[in-house]
Amino acid sequence: MLPEPLIQVLQVLTVAGAAPGISGVIARVEATLQGRHGPRILQPYYDLAKLFRKEALAPEGASWVFLAAPVAAFACYLTVPLLIPVLTTFPLPLGYMGDILGGGFILSLASFLVAVAALETGSPYAQLGASRAKTFAAITEPVVLFVVFTVAMLTATDLPYALAATVRASAGQIVRPAHVLAAAALFMVILYETGRIPVETHSGTNEFGMIEEARSFEHSGPYLALLRWGSAAKQMILYTILLNVFTAPWGLAATRGAGPVLLAMVALPAKACVLGAVVAVIDDSFAKLRLFKITEFAAAAFLLAVLGVFTLYLGGG
Amino acid sequence: MPPAPAPSVFAGTANVIAVLILLAEFGMFRQALLRDQVRLYAGQSVLIAALAVLVGAVQQLPELYVLAAVTIALKAVAIPLVFRRLLRETEPEHAEQTGHDIAGTGGLGLASTVLIGLAVAAFGFFTATALPVSSGGAPVTALSVSVSVILVAFVVMIHRRDVASQAIGLFSLENGISLASLVVAPALPLLVEVVLAVDLLLAVVVLGLLIRLHHGRAETLSTADLTELRG
Amino acid sequence: MPVVAIVLLALPLAAAAVAFWVPPRAAGPVTAAAGVASFGLVLALIPAVTRHDVTALGFIRIDALAAVFLLATSFLYGCVGIYSIGYLRTGGEHEARNRRYAGRFWAGLNVFAWAMLVAPAMSSLALLWIAVEVTTIVSALLVALEGTDGAAEAAWKYVLIASAGLTIALLGTIFVYYAGAQVLGQTYNLAFTPLLGVAGRLSPAVVRLAFVLAVLGYGTKMGLFPVHTWLPDAHSEAPTPVSALLSGALLAVSFYAILRFYQVTQAAIGPRFPRDVLLAFGVASLLLAALYLFGQRDYKRMLAYSSVEHMGILAIGVSFGAPLALAGVLLHVLAHAAAKGNAFMGAGVLVRKYATKQTGLLTGGLDLLPWSAPMFLAAVLALSAMPPFGIFRSEFEIVAGGLAGDHNVAAVLLVLLVTVAFLGLSATVNKMLLAPRPEADLARGEPSAWMVVPVLAGLVALLVLGLHPPAELTGLLNHAVTALRGTVPHGTGSGGAA
Repeated sequence: MLPEPLIQVLQVLTVAGAAPGISGVIARVEATLQGRHGPRILQPYYDLAKLFRKEALAPEGASWVFLAAPVAAFACYLTVPLLIPVLTTFPLPLGYMGDILGGGFILSLASFLVAVAALETGSPYAQLGASRAKTFAAITEPVVLFVVFTVAMLTATDLPYALAATVRASAGQIVRPAHVLAAAALFMVILYETGRIPVETHSGTNEFGMIEEARSFEHSGPYLALLRWGSAAKQMILYTILLNVFTAPWGLAATRGAGPVLLAMVALPAKACVLGAVVAVIDDSFAKLRLFKITEFAAAAFLLAVLGVFTLYLGGG
Repeated sequence: MPPAPAPSVFAGTANVIAVLILLAEFGMFRQALLRDQVRLYAGQSVLIAALAVLVGAVQQLPELYVLAAVTIALKAVAIPLVFRRLLRETEPEHAEQTGHDIAGTGGLGLASTVLIGLAVAAFGFFTATALPVSSGGAPVTALSVSVSVILVAFVVMIHRRDVASQAIGLFSLENGISLASLVVAPALPLLVEVVLAVDLLLAVVVLGLLIRLHHGRAETLSTADLTELRG
Repeated sequence: MPVVAIVLLALPLAAAAVAFWVPPRAAGPVTAAAGVASFGLVLALIPAVTRHDVTALGFIRIDALAAVFLLATSFLYGCVGIYSIGYLRTGGEHEARNRRYAGRFWAGLNVFAWAMLVAPAMSSLALLWIAVEVTTIVSALLVALEGTDGAAEAAWKYVLIASAGLTIALLGTIFVYYAGAQVLGQTYNLAFTPLLGVAGRLSPAVVRLAFVLAVLGYGTKMGLFPVHTWLPDAHSEAPTPVSALLSGALLAVSFYAILRFYQVTQAAIGPRFPRDVLLAFGVASLLLAALYLFGQRDYKRMLAYSSVEHMGILAIGVSFGAPLALAGVLLHVLAHAAAKGNAFMGAGVLVRKYATKQTGLLTGGLDLLPWSAPMFLAAVLALSAMPPFGIFRSEFEIVAGGLAGDHNVAAVLLVLLVTVAFLGLSATVNKMLLAPRPEADLARGEPSAWMVVPVLAGLVALLVLGLHPPAELTGLLNHAVTALRGTVPHGTGSGGAA
């Protein structure tokens, strides 16, 4: 029997530790699909290690915010795993600290901090990326809200643990349209939030199309490493929410025993790898949307989310 | 508000298929390219057939398998084939010269289409919920969805400005009726269903003839010039 | 008698096949003969249907109500068949095009008439729907036959709007099936007689919904406001004989479908709701048509709007519900078929004579056309409900029925709007026919005798209906009214459901 605080720490460590690996897997799958050999799966870890050894520079005139933002954002990303079912089916002591909205707020706070830091730099690309990210976030936010509404109506709470338990309860819960639609809408939001095709190219140098990637242009050294790691952690958190709350809440530890918890620590990255492979396939099968068409993508997600709420009201959802 | 109870696996799956049919209709509403529109229509028809098979298997109505087969043969294969041939023949080669580009002929912007589509679909959803219908076939929720499909199909026909899209709108309207009939009349005698299908094929041929006539005269599929008859 | 019914429904199809294979010169007489023969067959059926329903082959069922509509359709079929011989001969187009055109025309005309004869004779609502859908498909091709820009546009609008409307009607039919299957079991096949038998046990809400959908759907084909928009275009652009059939017979067949739903609805939930629905649609149609009749520049469009007007009158007449009004409605169907057929056939003569459909370019009709012009004028007067023609009698009965049934406001409104329509119609027609033609560019004389004879027949029919309807006809109408009012005097269990 592991003490609950330890499990809680393990949740954070699992997310933080596995996150760069997932990015590595996606990059590798993508390369394989394109017929390239591709980087090592562990490459992101090496990159991070290298960046941590480099010196840090800040643009002239940038205030302390510029340097504080990566650290604060990273701290935000490490807070969210406390709130969501990463390893256990039962809520841990800090799990009730915040609901789905609370987690969402913390994620947006991190994104806000990064955007502020980008504005500090005076670099046009960084600012462009930050302002675009905020613009489109205004469209994806209602989608997330509707997804939360759906969750709330399905479970009468808005706690991630409760939804995961509901989904596990019966097969009917998984196939009900409201749930399927909400999960699909959330998946589209995740594609947007993690900067994947069809919203933006993840690897490349097309500055004009960049949103997420452009914001860290002026950072360097350990600060850039923290931003990169933070991005990977955010991706991992979003994947965890989709997997452990919506689509596949299995493989979680039901007790505090060391065995189940260890199993869960392996299962989550494994599931995330599968999801990452799916994302990589999407990455390779579609073209990037023109910037103005991204609203259309967000509108489609919105449509799914709203239809999800509708079907619930119909009684058969 | 207490949590919404979970539907049975059958009801859930059937409803998901119904919602996918509605989403295909939305796709036709948004889709600019005629070719993709035809593809969406074929996909929608396959979904109808899938739902027919599901309902047939669960409610023990074997005649629905035949209906599914007819649906696939006619709506997912024959009609899209006819349409694709038609589109090939009427390829807008002179689109630049005549100024008629029929891709994306809708008269509305993105936000308006999504909002109108949602409003219309919502109206359909909630009006149909008020009906005192209990089903021996697909779950009743699918009936609400079918009303939404029908209404959105009407919007497609109104909103698009080319003959091919309008025809596709008409046929998807018929798909909406098929969906409704799977809910309220799954055991509608097979003979009637087959005659309906043949009738649909006839309509396709006539629509094809008329599209060709229109194209032969106007060198375009756009209906922008069909303004002679008024008042 | 079943044999007569079967022959009646097989004849036009056979004529279509023959007309398709023989040269056009022979196809005309074949069609005309088939048309006249089918009129004779319907006449032969009348005594039988007043005794009991005629059923055959399990899916044919002709009662008095259906017979009224068969009578209207077959009468026009015969007239138009004869008329078209002259119409095509005076076409004067290039020979090769003419041959292809004529082949399609004759085949299409026969199939169109066949579908319209089949529709009222069907025993089930599903088959009725299919027959009406077939009429749409065939007539759309006929509308497009001229091959002009206008014809293509009209045909497209027609097929799209009418098919969409019929899809709604199909939804209504499916809901009726649902209501029926709840009572009669899953194997129920939408047959009409058993449905009426259990009407009292049908779910009221579903029947109500089905009725509204049916009125909206079939109303599209019938030309009720606001779903009439295809009608003026199709009527003005189609070849004129086809316009006559469209207006006189096709609209009536769609009305017949609505009447069937009316019967079921009335038996299930009482007459109040269906009457209110029909009243609303009827008044709206009448109002719109009366206003549009002013200032029409195309006289075939003008006649088309007059059709909308008369369909509105039919709907209002049913909404009055009194036996007298219903008898008037059915008489109106017959009289309107004759009068509108005459008017369109007269318009066809004008088209041939003047080679234009514009009212502005058309003067001095009475001087140039010694037969057709007076008869056209008579047809227009008949359409305006002037005595001594049939429509006067029918509208009189409708209004009298309305006043007797305490529908004073609607009845007065009807009279007012009909008067407005009369003003619109007569103002235009007077100028066309009576104003002297300044230039002497056209010779006096009829284009073809074939185009005069059927109009004469129509005129005779109008006069007979107006002055002294034969006792057999009155008996038929009374039987139909009894059926419509929901007290089925006979034949409830006589099958047809098989």
